[in-house]
Amino acid sequence: MIVLTNIRKSFGDKQVHTGVELTVNDRETTVILGKSGGGKSVLLKMIIGLIKPDTGSILVDGKEVTTMSFKQLQRLRFKFGFLFQGAALFDSMTVGENIELALRRHSDYTQAEIHEKMHYALHLVKLENVEHLMPSSLSGGMKKRVGLARAIALTPKYMLYDEPTTGLDVETADGINLLINELKRELGVTSIVVTHDVHSAFVVGDRFGIFEQGRFIARGTKEEIRSSSDENVRKYIESEIQT
Amino acid sequence: METITEQRSLHLFAPVGKAAHSFFEHLGRYFSINWWMLRNIANAKEYSRNILHQMVTIGNHSIPIVLFVSFFVGMVTAVQSSYQLYDWIPRAVVGALVTKSVLLELVPLLSALVLAGKVGATITAEIGTMRVTEQIDALESLAFDPISFLITPRVIAGIIMFPILVIFGDAVAILGGMFGASSIAGIPSEVFVDGMKSSFRTYDAFFGIIKGTFFGYIITSVACYQGYRVQGGSEGVGRATMNTVVLTCLAVVVMDFILASVLL
Repeated sequence: MIVLTNIRKSFGDKQVHTGVELTVNDRETTVILGKSGGGKSVLLKMIIGLIKPDTGSILVDGKEVTTMSFKQLQRLRFKFGFLFQGAALFDSMTVGENIELALRRHSDYTQAEIHEKMHYALHLVKLENVEHLMPSSLSGGMKKRVGLARAIALTPKYMLYDEPTTGLDVETADGINLLINELKRELGVTSIVVTHDVHSAFVVGDRFGIFEQGRFIARGTKEEIRSSSDENVRKYIESEIQT
Repeated sequence: METITEQRSLHLFAPVGKAAHSFFEHLGRYFSINWWMLRNIANAKEYSRNILHQMVTIGNHSIPIVLFVSFFVGMVTAVQSSYQLYDWIPRAVVGALVTKSVLLELVPLLSALVLAGKVGATITAEIGTMRVTEQIDALESLAFDPISFLITPRVIAGIIMFPILVIFGDAVAILGGMFGASSIAGIPSEVFVDGMKSSFRTYDAFFGIIKGTFFGYIITSVACYQGYRVQGGSEGVGRATMNTVVLTCLAVVVMDFILASVLL
């Protein structure tokens, strides 16, 4: 379970979080919907300690993240898989090396087991025979899939998705949405998805938070969000209907 | 009236204060990364593959340019020494002068300035691109220490490879000097070698190697820092790369002076 309480964060004069409250239940997919550049991705990075909030508390399985030492943060990060917006594949390594990197560093698996795990991760994201390719030769959708394979290689408890469908065509984006749902079923992971793609949000989400001006203006299930009469929430629902 | 004058003075000093604040902020961050590197130096053995890879990148790929520059530096030194000393003193002195100059100063300094551009800019562009494409965040999310993984191997490789490049450069520069002396200045090779032997001190060569070690450290560490702190996309990478070339060149000449003052 992840609990964020009264998170505040400023970058220079710009205050991006003005008291964020969020609870993410185990085995659920929580979607954070909001405009681009509003500070949603920063929230994800705060959860694994890449960025520290100015004030507030972040609890992961009851442990406070904001006061953790570097070593404690490293241990915490084993629980997480993170799919970055641009996939963030290491461009000097092949696809296989990207996926195997963390396995080699953090596990006692043999070479054969590491290979097997790498192939299994690629199989889960529906990619075969790409392990020798360099990231530069992959399409946008394939990069996201490889990013996903790398994130799930260490079988995380939590998955963080930063704009998983941004920049993809509708068909590829639907494929990623299906993958997110399949991974939840297959691996039983708890997920947080940050997106401004309303269609994608309603396909993958169990719970939703509408993020505006540095805080959540609405939270709830799909039905609760869809039946909201708040004008700021309605504009998201209507944009889904239009698409 | 006095208030306006005071305000104007403040306006004049504000940019100075801002620049000083920024300078010390960067200096503090640079030293904190270096301190982190030192504290976690034991982790380096886990990244020995990275160190070897960087040694090849920094060393092997730089050999041609260092040898090229050194050969011409040797030739130019011989030809100009011969011109400046013409008829004043014995021709063997040219051999002595070339050897001393290239070992003590010319090869370590000029190699470092060339490598500040080549190696320094490459490192900053690589790490900076990793920063703006979130690859460094990805490393951290995979529970890696990005400083031990990215920076330490490059700095260690620089510290090891720069002195080796200087040794090769020294040898080629002396050969270049001998070639320049014999082919252009008309000084026979035996005379040049006699002069070289008479003045050679092992410490001179050792001093150049010490310089290479320090230059290797300063160039790679500043370049890594600049790349690691990149902000603002590809424009930021370009700016950081330019900063690296300028800062490392300045740092090299300052360090050159300090080392000469302390060690000679």
